[in-house]
Amino acid sequence: MDLFLQLFTTGIMLGSIYALVALGWTLIYKCSGVLNLAMGELTLIGAYVCLTLYRWLNPHMALNLAFIMAILFTLVIGAILGLLTEHAFLRKMIGEPVLSVIMVTVGLSFFFKGTIFIIWNPDTQIFTPRIFPLKPLLIGNVVIGQVYLWSFIAAIILLVVFVSFFKYTRWGLSMQATADDEMAALSLGVSAKFVYALAWAIAFMAAGVGGTLLGNINGLNYSVGLLGLLVLPAVVLGGLNSVPGAIAGGLIIGVLQNLTGGYLDRFFPGGVKEVAPFAIMVIFLLFKPYGIWGWERIERV
Amino acid sequence: MEGKESILKINNIEVKYHEVILVLKGVSIEVPGGGIVALLGANGAGKSTTLKAISGLLKHEDGKVTDGSIELMGERIDRLEAEEIAKRGIFQIIEGRRVFEHLTVEENLRVGAHLRGNGKAIKERLEMVYGYFPRLKEVRNVTAGFISGGEQQMTVIGRAMMAQPKLMLLDEPSMGLAPMLIKEIFDIITMLNQKEKISILLVEQNVKLALTVAPYAYVLENGRIVMDDTSEKLKENPDIRDFYLGLTDVGGRKSFRDVKHYKRRKRWLT
Repeated sequence: MDLFLQLFTTGIMLGSIYALVALGWTLIYKCSGVLNLAMGELTLIGAYVCLTLYRWLNPHMALNLAFIMAILFTLVIGAILGLLTEHAFLRKMIGEPVLSVIMVTVGLSFFFKGTIFIIWNPDTQIFTPRIFPLKPLLIGNVVIGQVYLWSFIAAIILLVVFVSFFKYTRWGLSMQATADDEMAALSLGVSAKFVYALAWAIAFMAAGVGGTLLGNINGLNYSVGLLGLLVLPAVVLGGLNSVPGAIAGGLIIGVLQNLTGGYLDRFFPGGVKEVAPFAIMVIFLLFKPYGIWGWERIERV
Repeated sequence: MEGKESILKINNIEVKYHEVILVLKGVSIEVPGGGIVALLGANGAGKSTTLKAISGLLKHEDGKVTDGSIELMGERIDRLEAEEIAKRGIFQIIEGRRVFEHLTVEENLRVGAHLRGNGKAIKERLEMVYGYFPRLKEVRNVTAGFISGGEQQMTVIGRAMMAQPKLMLLDEPSMGLAPMLIKEIFDIITMLNQKEKISILLVEQNVKLALTVAPYAYVLENGRIVMDDTSEKLKENPDIRDFYLGLTDVGGRKSFRDVKHYKRRKRWLT
């Protein structure tokens, strides 16, 4: 039971990071219908930007402050990059067939990957000096690394911020409206182009912070970008266009990954942990093709 | 049209979709400030396209005004983006009760005020809309996809009212609604026109109703305006009576062997 609790809590905490990235992904899909296959590279970019900023700010101020500032700046830079990406690459694709748009995101993924490794060293880098103390916390019988705990807190804060943005602000509502019925939103003066750009900006922001947090846990190298792939089972599980679904999906994938890693790795050494989310996604889709909270058409009776 | 200054002036526009399909071939319409004008016509005549040309939504469907001009109070608007046109006060209510299904009624209304900022003004406008549509207040927290058709139509009209329109383009507000509800909605439309001074361009298949609400009407056929006159005169026009109101002068059953029917229609088209 202790093992289970242990795996479960760590899974939730890891899952909250997935949830954050999944939210960014879902947003783009929901608002503009673009299936973004470059999400992994977005997380990488954010993580490297944050690392650079952190190293740069670190000598000038206290450790914690430097990290928080680095994250805030990463958010700003992420937003700018998001706006630019949308403007440069995706705006021209509005109204083109879905497949072409997907191919553009595949191209973007290669482009970003190449650019990243021109700028930054591809070897594993860690956030030095360490931000989070190595000493784990003990809650009951469960041991929690401080990195995990703080990542969890940061992810939850951002999730709350984003969700309240959708629910209560003017642009948030307009984004949801555009996702629902683009034509009707246009007729009310909502700029669809700006909504798309905003979705990309938020996706970049969420992915950047997600990447940074993961980089803190495992060290930063190319494998952080594989997170982009993990986002797919998370969003599919949650229902492609549901924000709560993406969050739940992220958490579920985190937990599943940890549980399979903890229990099954003994029997199938190697990569059960990596495969499990996808296997579960396939089985799940057999029974609920729309995901947990995916939009089914609302039919009035 | 004599007297009042016009708010909207469409001068002989031509509209093409995908740069090849010619849908409107010379449409001229004038809406007087504070007036209601009806645009009548059969299916596929180009009524909705005309409205979309005005509101700028046409560009979204790969359509384009290729000739002529549209002026809002003297300013040309046919080349502007939809959001710019909305900023100038023209709001189209698209055919088919397009509520934002997954938002609540009140959230729907709030989106309507997108261009009007946040804050207290929105509260006041919400109260005004609820004043016109008390029923919406009852369902304000219900997801709009689940309310009744009449309530959805009210939501859509209320949503446009939130935006403080100068000119409302209404596309078939009566479609698929029960007669009682249609009457209710048209009463409110008349009231909006009189009390809020919103000018209205109304597209309607229910010709009888449209001619009672609007004092002036245009008839569109095959992408051309074939007739325009005051509603009084149109109601008496034998062609309108025949083709749109389903009445004949004789009062008896209509003989479809009557060749004149074809000839008369033909005359309009050329």
